[in-house]
Amino acid sequence: MFDAIVIGSGMSGGIAAKELCERGLKVLVLERGRMIKHGEDYMDSQMPWELPNENQISEAELERDYPIQRQCYAVNEATKKFWVKDSEHPYTTPEGKPFAWIRGYHLGGRSIMWGRQSYRLSPQDFEANAKDGHGCDWPIRYDDLAPWYDHVEKFIGVAGTKEGLPQLPDGEFLPAFGMNDGEKLFKAAVETRFPGRKVIIGRNANLSVAQPHHEELGRSSCQNRSICERGCSYGANHTSLSSSLPAAERTGNLTIITDAIVHSLIQDPATGKIKAVRVIDAKTKVGRTYEAKIFFLNASAIASAQILLNSRNEANPRGLCNKSDQVGRNLMDHLYALTTAGIMPQYPQDSYYKGRRPTGIYIPRFRNVTESADGYVRGYGYQGGVMRMGGKPQASMPGIGQDIKERGRKFGPWMAFISGFGEMLPDPKNRVTLNETSKDQWGLPILHIDCGQGPNEAKMAKQILADGKAMIEAAGGMVLSQASEAGTPGLGIHEMGTARMGRDPMTSVFNGFSQAHEAANLFCTDGAAMSSSGCQNPSLTYMALTARAAHHAAAFLKEGKL
Amino acid sequence: MTEFSAVDRRTMLAQIAALIGAAALPADALAAPKRRARRFLAAPQYAILGALADTILPATDTPGALAAQVPARIDTLLRNWASAETRTKVGTALANLDTAARTQKKKGFAALSLAERTAVLRPHDAAALKAVPPPANAPKANFFMQANYVADPGYLKIKEMVVQLYYFSDVATRSELIYEHVPGEWQPSIKLTPQSRPYLGTGPF
Repeated sequence: MFDAIVIGSGMSGGIAAKELCERGLKVLVLERGRMIKHGEDYMDSQMPWELPNENQISEAELERDYPIQRQCYAVNEATKKFWVKDSEHPYTTPEGKPFAWIRGYHLGGRSIMWGRQSYRLSPQDFEANAKDGHGCDWPIRYDDLAPWYDHVEKFIGVAGTKEGLPQLPDGEFLPAFGMNDGEKLFKAAVETRFPGRKVIIGRNANLSVAQPHHEELGRSSCQNRSICERGCSYGANHTSLSSSLPAAERTGNLTIITDAIVHSLIQDPATGKIKAVRVIDAKTKVGRTYEAKIFFLNASAIASAQILLNSRNEANPRGLCNKSDQVGRNLMDHLYALTTAGIMPQYPQDSYYKGRRPTGIYIPRFRNVTESADGYVRGYGYQGGVMRMGGKPQASMPGIGQDIKERGRKFGPWMAFISGFGEMLPDPKNRVTLNETSKDQWGLPILHIDCGQGPNEAKMAKQILADGKAMIEAAGGMVLSQASEAGTPGLGIHEMGTARMGRDPMTSVFNGFSQAHEAANLFCTDGAAMSSSGCQNPSLTYMALTARAAHHAAAFLKEGKL
Repeated sequence: MTEFSAVDRRTMLAQIAALIGAAALPADALAAPKRRARRFLAAPQYAILGALADTILPATDTPGALAAQVPARIDTLLRNWASAETRTKVGTALANLDTAARTQKKKGFAALSLAERTAVLRPHDAAALKAVPPPANAPKANFFMQANYVADPGYLKIKEMVVQLYYFSDVATRSELIYEHVPGEWQPSIKLTPQSRPYLGTGPF
């Protein structure tokens, strides 16, 4: 019997394992996907011409196996092994209402390929639901989580600048990656023209300067390759494989079992506590159970909801810990791909940069902060960059021979692009349910995902584009390209909300300690538990919630409360 | 010579090399015996592809597409990567180009000199890349995945492959535009000189 079982080894599961192991608990991590090894399973050392098919997945394979995953920008031959085959992991959506569920089933999960942008939620984010009435009130406030943000930032290593912004609290930062000259001009122009707005360097979990506690885990400073999603053999970006699982492992308290698909949780009807987890071996399809004193659900938002729903029994016909009927509901993803791009003809022609910096610029939220919004609640931030055009010539432009080479050798103008990430409201109608008519190859009901954007999101998307255009133009740019609508929900790869935290057991699933209202020894700290989504990239918040919950869970266990 | 004996020969030579020192053997003795490469494209099509790649990116002050083994690499992509639809489009584009050469020069494209090929290809390239409206069922483009709709999509596909494979080749990344796999330091501001050229990156950044 283990002290704790952590379900999932990705962004939050890795931190759960580390924090629980470091508190002396014997921890079992269950990963549904296969084992992969840090370094040896990465394709980050190959030169471009050494990659199979010049780093393209074959067209037939894309069509057959990756019709959904292929919509993610980071899917290519070098990263192929990190994405599920859609053909093997089906789910359904209503006709005409797609949801792109982008996933990776292997040790470390999506922490291997994540975008590394790391931002804190702010006091106003934790108060938003209570203030405007959407969703349920968060059971915690920013101050409850602030020390855990400190703790996680220091451990994972986040590069950034302190800005003193109430809507984007500062953290424990490594030295920031610097802005290039184009970005400095863009920043100056936007901040002058719009005094309530800031343009800052993106805060990213790449080691600008590795610290001794990073080096102890075998991590080293970032080499500015920007192929992070292939897995980084330098361990320069935080992933479960480079960082949290090695930290857990060195305590001697960690056991990892891969190819272990969690079927359901088994609850003791007398005590309400979870007794065991029922697992199906992904390869042999044989079932078995594992017992523990406490359980951490870190399977990712949609999958954690799936486990609770599939843990239904006679006493709990609509799923475990679901008296509130909120399990599977309130699915959120950030508004995504609302990009505006323009050229900056006046920017200095004699300035350039060297290296491929693994972050861009960030424009923190200003709507409903320093500026009012055009008929909607909440707000959005932008990620982007300003860069020199040029390099490999476009084949689609007419011209052959020396014309092409000359074109490639010339520096083009600077180009700026900014892409809005908007907060999506929790809406109980956006929902994940078990598809009662179809099962996967392991006999588990597949999921039905019904998720769409509402009127608040539509108004917000419109203003994201209008503000994007206004800022590019204010910075001296000519807009050349602009999205017309947000990307398919799911493509933000920030799924949240499907088993939310709250104070009231009748309207929420987990309490302020991330502990199930209906099962004291069950904790959930992945995207499922998010009561609202903010507009910030959420992984840092999952990790901070995880570290906090692990602290309390270990204390409760010691005090005999679980 | 059978497959087995070829392997045995190399094994034997490697053992001799270890015993007496590799310098005593001719440089190519350890190489697999030369065999005619197995091509996906039929020889006449492959010849047109080679001539086309060499015309799109000839050797000038820097090496060209042939030095970067672009035709062989495209042939491999056609076998391992391309869908049936792409193969058909590419085949049609090669045939169209050859027809243009035969019409204008009375010879197949591959049989022409570089100057003649350039004369045929320049207007052909401009016409093939003329923009056309996207089809009704075209997938939505986004910032990372832009699609171009042109008069001859097969020609565009070949040209894209020629340009991509040339620039991301061992020779061109050392001579034409530099690709540093491990840049190391991030230098946010450097001054350009007349000799400066853009660096290559594999992604959008």
